Amino acid sequence: MITATKMLARDWRGGELGILIMALVLAVGVVSGISAFTARLQSALEQESHRFLGADLVVRWSRALPGQWLDAAAQRQLNRAQVLTFPTMVIADAGGMSLASVKAVSTGYPLRGELTYSQEPFGEALTAQSGPAVGEVWLDSRLFPLLDVSIGDAVTIGEARFTVTAAARTEPDQASSFMGYGPRLLMNFADIAATGVVQPGSRVEYRQLYAGDATALTAFNSWLQPQLIEGQSILTIDEGQPGIGEALSRAESFLLLAGSLAVVLAGVAVALAARRFSERHTDYVAIMKSLGATSAAISRLYGGSLLLLGLIATAGGCFLGWLIQAAFFAVFADQLPVQPGPAGLRPYAVGAVTSLVCLLCFAWPPLRRLSRCSPLRVLRRDTPEETTRTLIDTLIGFAAVTLLMLWYSQDAVLTLAVLSGLLLTGALGMVIAVALLRTGRAVGMSAGSIWRLALAGLQRRGTANALQVVIFGMAIMLLLMLVLVRTSLISQWQMQLPVDAPNHFMINIAPEDAAAVEQTLRDNALPSEPLFPMIRGRVMSINGVALPTTDDPAQDRRQREWNFTWSDELPTENTVSAGQWWEAGSAAAEVSLEEEYAQRLGVDVGDQLGLLIGSEPLEVTVTSIRQLQWQSLRPNFYLIFPPKVLEPYPATFMTSFHLDKSNKVFLNELIRSFPTLTVIEMDIVIEQIRSIVSQVSAAVELVLVVILAAGALVLVAGVRASVDSRMYESAILRALGAPRRLILGSLLIEFATLGLFAGLLATMAAELSVFVLQTQAMEMAYVPTPWVWPLGIAAGMLIIGGLGVFSCREVVSAPPVEVLREL
Amino acid sequence: MAGTELEILKGITLEIKSGESVAIVGASGSGKSTLLGLLAGLDEASAGSVVIHDTNITDLDEDGRALFRSQHIGFVFQSFQLLPALTALENVMLPLELAGKAGAEAAASDYLERVGLGQRLHHYPKQMSGGEQQRVAIARAFAAQPDILFADEPTGNLDTTTGRTIVDLLFELNRQAGTTLVLVTHDLSLAQRCQRCVQLESGALLSEASAG
Repeated sequence: MITATKMLARDWRGGELGILIMALVLAVGVVSGISAFTARLQSALEQESHRFLGADLVVRWSRALPGQWLDAAAQRQLNRAQVLTFPTMVIADAGGMSLASVKAVSTGYPLRGELTYSQEPFGEALTAQSGPAVGEVWLDSRLFPLLDVSIGDAVTIGEARFTVTAAARTEPDQASSFMGYGPRLLMNFADIAATGVVQPGSRVEYRQLYAGDATALTAFNSWLQPQLIEGQSILTIDEGQPGIGEALSRAESFLLLAGSLAVVLAGVAVALAARRFSERHTDYVAIMKSLGATSAAISRLYGGSLLLLGLIATAGGCFLGWLIQAAFFAVFADQLPVQPGPAGLRPYAVGAVTSLVCLLCFAWPPLRRLSRCSPLRVLRRDTPEETTRTLIDTLIGFAAVTLLMLWYSQDAVLTLAVLSGLLLTGALGMVIAVALLRTGRAVGMSAGSIWRLALAGLQRRGTANALQVVIFGMAIMLLLMLVLVRTSLISQWQMQLPVDAPNHFMINIAPEDAAAVEQTLRDNALPSEPLFPMIRGRVMSINGVALPTTDDPAQDRRQREWNFTWSDELPTENTVSAGQWWEAGSAAAEVSLEEEYAQRLGVDVGDQLGLLIGSEPLEVTVTSIRQLQWQSLRPNFYLIFPPKVLEPYPATFMTSFHLDKSNKVFLNELIRSFPTLTVIEMDIVIEQIRSIVSQVSAAVELVLVVILAAGALVLVAGVRASVDSRMYESAILRALGAPRRLILGSLLIEFATLGLFAGLLATMAAELSVFVLQTQAMEMAYVPTPWVWPLGIAAGMLIIGGLGVFSCREVVSAPPVEVLREL
Repeated sequence: MAGTELEILKGITLEIKSGESVAIVGASGSGKSTLLGLLAGLDEASAGSVVIHDTNITDLDEDGRALFRSQHIGFVFQSFQLLPALTALENVMLPLELAGKAGAEAAASDYLERVGLGQRLHHYPKQMSGGEQQRVAIARAFAAQPDILFADEPTGNLDTTTGRTIVDLLFELNRQAGTTLVLVTHDLSLAQRCQRCVQLESGALLSEASAG
């Protein structure tokens, strides 16, 4: 009996399998390639994000953490470090003194990211191998003028004396560890005992840092979790730096979207190729049947071939996928400041499953119909082929796409948005195709011969064209969606961080200095925010019920101190989401709360808050809830009051301003003139966010290239499906004396017209999908994009016109005699 | 015309004896191919029956007829109907493999030898002339040792000289094997080489003449 292996081998030699296997290999390749690429990029970004923690895993507590945790980590071959932060007084020999935020670090710190220092205050930042040695300290550049010391001088902390050996510049985890607001002083962890300043009850934060092999780390994490007691917490990147966590999760949404789009494209390409394969095999099956093959034998034969094909394509596809991701990383290595992480086996498993699903749901339905083909075709070629797509086949394909996309994105809203866009394109495509059929005839009759030929071509392959408009439309739609989403992602990020965004905070401005500080900023032409008053106060009770008293930082519903401010106007980038902002000059005892804070407290408009400012109690009513942009790097407050309510209390002021890197020395002068104020350098954190954004943009561009290739594959597969009948028509036309120019021209018009309709459809569908995506999945504001309309339509005409004519160029190059003899 | 039933063959009664050679002649559109399709079990009749070797093949379903064809029936077609992806040898082996017969390769190369293509076993149909392709088709038809051979305009796509050689080969092999031959043609000189000749006109059997 003829076997599947034999048939495959014969078909392969005969060149019949090329298209199907290529489509499958490309499908698996694109899917596993994107999957591996995004997996590696994600693990790289994750590693990058660990830089912000200075480690892979961080535990913190307000008391000394158990030493046996470090031993347990050591047993698992993990790297370890300890950090202790606390505020204390630093005194210089010459008499200068200042409050400093001390950070004591053990050898090995930081485990991830870089610690930098400079050899003079505000000097060139250099990378340090480790923190200060025993007996040495590094001072924040601002401390040098405050204490009036230079490198080599001695300072005293508690009972110990230290030599200043460098200026501390940046720590990888400084964004996640603001503790007090004094300028930084770095010392060695081993020196703490000698200072004697850390006593039971001191306001301190201990951290244990771990890093190393991912598997060992996961095991360690699950060993550690159950041992944590109240107050001890594991830091994640989201807590460390909310802006970066959000940027990463948006990037992840985008990459997953791109991955699922590749699945749709791959499925369509496989279905088209299988359909063509089945059409070309109809005659062979008729011959085999006339020679006595049963339907079951045909099914077995083609089923077996398909399975074998699947195995070969999966192996080839996985290899191609590996090549694709390797090539991307090779080509774009310079643009990626991070080392790509490992991809693991999952992307290839994903490729294999995708291959199986594609075979079962896209390739098998048309091949299954082969077994039903009539043997009478050997006598009469006009016997109707059973190639009409049944409703069931379409449903199977659609269900497969839905499940694959759900599996990829693990996100129902994302899947729904993309699928509804695809459905709309499909439905509109069919409507337009019908309209095309009805009007094409009339238009064609009155046009010149080249147009008549082209429009007749469109009309003749009515159903095929309807399908192609839909497929082309989908491919362009996917491209447009990527362009739109990518553009809005990047522009939103950039909007969040404009070039002159505030990059320094100034706090503790004394009321009598406020005017002078503002004047200094103006004199130096530094763009700044208005001065906000800051009053320390405690939130004690809600509606007369006292909040719990605890020092657990993870517990938000507790009596604790906050910075209050006052304002008559709603601050920039704040929007009221519930209640109403007060009228200017209001003296009512009311307060406006930040939305998430209100949620955590469980407070709504109309509730009463009991406060304590200094030693004076104050009862206020919540009259509004505000949403605000935490990433804006402007002064933001949880609690804002009408000025008349807070004015009686003593306040200091704060602001934020933009200072260029080249202008840093200004800080020396500023601190000398106003010794009480504290400057927080946020520019370092901003630089870190920018670096993440630039990496993500590079990733997005890479994925765009992959999708573009997959889209082109679908276009070519679609055109190839009509090449046989086009060859025949062209041969007849040329035999009748039509010049090649005429046939090429009519092909161009035909495909460009298809492209026009496809582009129009795609633009509408893309706009809709992006609307749903932005508003529902990515939590962004929808912005209409009129420029995408001409772009989509022009892209449709150019890409489809060009690729269409290119893919069937053999229609005019093969000698007519040869074509006619073959048929 | 849509909605109107078209009667292609009308009241045909035809008996063919084992080992006999019969030509079915008639103009284009007279129903020759339809009749052949029904006789060979490639098509289903809306009324009437076809009985071969005491088996009423009109009672069989598509797969039953396929099995029956693999055991009893061979074909030679006007357009050769070789599988382009298979070599000459593989094309001839195909019906033997489908019928599950042992020694397919030896039998196939033997028959290709007998039609004069012993040197071209591994050539593809594309690399052969029309006459050579039809020889492969004839070798394929006889290799399965069918009881009945149906030939549909076997010379229709060939020039006169080649056509004559092919017909000689067809009748010679048929004589050696003692196969029943049913030949559809509009070529009267070809029809005359059969023992009987039946003429179809507008789907009806006109006359029956015994030939030499």
